[in-house]
Amino acid sequence: MNAPSWTTVLFWFFAAGGVITGYRVFRADSMVRAAFFLLASFAATGGLLVLLGAEFLGMVLILMMAGEMLVMAIIMVMYMMNPAGLNPMFMVHQHRTSVIAAVASFLALAVLPFVITLPARANPRPVAATAQLGTELLGDSMLVFQTAGVTLLATIVGTVALTSRRGRYGDAEEGSKEPPLEEEAMESP
Amino acid sequence: MNLQAVLVVAAALFAIGVYGALSQQSLVMLIMGLEMMINAGILAAVGFWSLAAGGNPQGEMLVIMFMTVMAVEMALGFSLITNVYRIRRADITEKLRRLRE
Amino acid sequence: MNGYASAGVAVVLTGVALAVGIYLVAIGDRLLASLVGGGGIGWRTAVVRPAQRATLLLLQQRLTTEPSDAPGWALAPAFFLALAAVALAMVPVARGRAAADPATGFVVFSAAIALVMIAVFLHGWSPDAALPLHGAYRYGAQALSFQIPFLLAMLAAALPAQSLSIVDIVAAQDTVWNVIRTPLGLPLFLIVGASVSSWGPVNLADAADIAGGTSAEDSGVGRLLWQTARYGMLVAVAAMGGALFLGGWWGPLLPGPFWVILKTVVLLLAFLAAGHLLARVRTETFVVVSWAVLIPLALVNIFFTGAFLL
Repeated sequence: MNAPSWTTVLFWFFAAGGVITGYRVFRADSMVRAAFFLLASFAATGGLLVLLGAEFLGMVLILMMAGEMLVMAIIMVMYMMNPAGLNPMFMVHQHRTSVIAAVASFLALAVLPFVITLPARANPRPVAATAQLGTELLGDSMLVFQTAGVTLLATIVGTVALTSRRGRYGDAEEGSKEPPLEEEAMESP
Repeated sequence: MNLQAVLVVAAALFAIGVYGALSQQSLVMLIMGLEMMINAGILAAVGFWSLAAGGNPQGEMLVIMFMTVMAVEMALGFSLITNVYRIRRADITEKLRRLRE
Repeated sequence: MNGYASAGVAVVLTGVALAVGIYLVAIGDRLLASLVGGGGIGWRTAVVRPAQRATLLLLQQRLTTEPSDAPGWALAPAFFLALAAVALAMVPVARGRAAADPATGFVVFSAAIALVMIAVFLHGWSPDAALPLHGAYRYGAQALSFQIPFLLAMLAAALPAQSLSIVDIVAAQDTVWNVIRTPLGLPLFLIVGASVSSWGPVNLADAADIAGGTSAEDSGVGRLLWQTARYGMLVAVAAMGGALFLGGWWGPLLPGPFWVILKTVVLLLAFLAAGHLLARVRTETFVVVSWAVLIPLALVNIFFTGAFLL
């Protein structure tokens, strides 16, 4: 038996890291810690993607998740009853059902690859995945890419519409109320 | 590093995500569970792209769509949480039993 | 030379460059402070003083707050310094050579910049005290607003090279530097680069008006490491600015590494001078300007670059 190559070692390092920190997300006693653990889990997944040859996607995943986790941590500190998020907490419901569902889904998904025959056509290495992806994005799959862009634009507009409360000209819901019929304030001075 | 190993890791991440999405009371933690499930999807998709698709770049397009879904889900989730908090002063699912109030 | 040896050389080289850069920033900061504020200290004092200060901080007792998150507090400065090293490793040092040159060096650098906000938030949150958390929130608002103009400004620099590899981006500047092709890129990059390490007029997270912000509760070796990491990130950003916009190793007569160092030092001097001459902006102003002014300017910049190339 030959010694494992460094890619194998790194693969299992990132895999174990991702799963363990992922588990710690729902065992952390503070929400901010949970957000940091989730970021660590995502970073490990990003490492796995880089190992699998998708450098660009792996780094973009990390780049995207950094911002996302910051927003998450800020929102949690804002809305939690436990402001700095440093007091211990454990808030779960239907614990047993969740555990059963998780174990069942893991077994179903993990057994499947060993039962069925998977196609085995690995990418030619070394693969210029980044350049290839760029050509694909602005070539054949341009419509898909544009759809993603428009979806994100719609999300931006929708999110602003949902959350904006106070605009430059007063409260956001002000215009939707009809003016009162009585005009006591409009009496002559 | 073969496809089975990648899929097992993805399955483990997905299972953790299922647990989180079902068990957490806090809405933000619930979103974390959803994110982790999408994360598992991304890992599995890249695994298939890298080890079973023979270098077809459309596998990566699929992952970009996954990332879009992730961003949309988070943005809309947080704006809904913000609205729920403004109206009910609540951020946990138990307080949302009654949809009309 | 086999792979492992060259990797070792690259790591050592990055570490040495980072350490020298940090010390130079510390010296330059003191000299400029005495130049601007009077009370002139000589060269010798300026060179010795940072080492004295570092020794003092190393020996100082490390105080903690009662309910702090100790691992996070210890991790944040180290994480920040590691990010600075990663960012610096992407900068090409001589023709066609960098400590690390992945095909996606551009994205790796941006990811390092994005992760800085996690480091700063962790650093402000973990002491569980009012002023650090205040600083962390300020940095959150600041970082989320500068990410987009930052990426757009860098994107304009990557456009002429048609590549995301930093070495390719510098190699494409052999005739015209990017500072000509993307005229607004360098100012945008510098504004954002100063905010990344909370420097000078855009230092909101560690500002004096909230008693040092995220580092208000720091003492001893933690404070030393945090300041070091901030200086290190400043060095990395200045070096990257030289590579992306000022042509990196390209220059007449002298060898490439000399030009890289010269351009880095010039940008560092600009940062230091801004730190001592300009007033600090308010958080609201910064956020509004980022979203409403810098993003449109960055888009105009990309348009201009594209028109130039066509």
